[in-house]
Amino acid sequence: MTPRTGLHALFALILASWPESAAGQSKQTVSIIPVQSLSFGLLLPGLREAVSVTDVSRRAVVALAGDGPVDVALVLPSAMETSSGDRILLSFSTSDAALLTASGTTLSQLDPLQVNRVQLGNGRSILFVLGGTAVTSATTRPGHYTARVALLVNHPGT
Amino acid sequence: MNRSFRLLAALTVIALPSAASAQAITGSIVATADISTVFSFGAPTGLSFGNITPGSAATGSGYIPLSRNVGVIYSLPDGATTGRLVGPGGNLQPTYTCGVGSTSATIVSAFANCNAAGAQLTLVSPPALLTEYVIFNGSLAAGQTNITPGTYTGTIRVTATPN
Repeated sequence: MTPRTGLHALFALILASWPESAAGQSKQTVSIIPVQSLSFGLLLPGLREAVSVTDVSRRAVVALAGDGPVDVALVLPSAMETSSGDRILLSFSTSDAALLTASGTTLSQLDPLQVNRVQLGNGRSILFVLGGTAVTSATTRPGHYTARVALLVNHPGT
Repeated sequence: MNRSFRLLAALTVIALPSAASAQAITGSIVATADISTVFSFGAPTGLSFGNITPGSAATGSGYIPLSRNVGVIYSLPDGATTGRLVGPGGNLQPTYTCGVGSTSATIVSAFANCNAAGAQLTLVSPPALLTEYVIFNGSLAAGQTNITPGTYTGTIRVTATPN
């Protein structure tokens, strides 16, 4: 082999190994799709109202899809508020989250107060569900109260 | 030539794609609740003058509770005939004092009138859910009871409108 031929071979080898596009790179992707809000419904002043993870109509549901292990963490609000600043306290217990299959079978109980390691696989969706407790008081005024829970999904090591 | 290969190898190393990058993403969950307006009358306690000896005065008291967490306007839809009794001897119109109290025994906020149409008392939204009592205290003068014996009955109608 002449030196020029050797160079050509080397160039060919480099080009063959070069990724064709960004999509050809190995990239771990995760999708988060909100399915249902956490809905405490119509409450009376002075009462506590708990929504469990088994409350199909009121629990929050988020579909997670992707591959590989991910760490799921929540930023939980302390209260729901109206636009005028009235508040209803919120509390979350260690049993207020769970992981379900897309068909609703419980995979595992999760602690919303901790970072939870979840195994995603084969691009199929699993459901992350969240409950909680709303605590009204006798002075809680009529109105529509809302809050947002932030859901953070990271691949380990990021 | 070796130098050319070394240079090319160096370029190859430098140009190699970086390792696969991991991804962090965020989403959000909405939590909602609605606090209802509480506004309802409870069970009334009727006003009874009892058994009256003709020609004797008599009194009686009755009330109805209202639970609310909003303001209220009380009115008397029957106006001048509010709480009129009707019996064998015709009509019998007691004299009433009326109003609202935190207990069923004492009027704290009086109605403007107990026998007139229209709004009689307006109360603001309370700081907390409360139950108050709409109280009617009635009296019959001695001259009024010197009528045909029998049972005389009537209805006191009070309208409460959220304010």
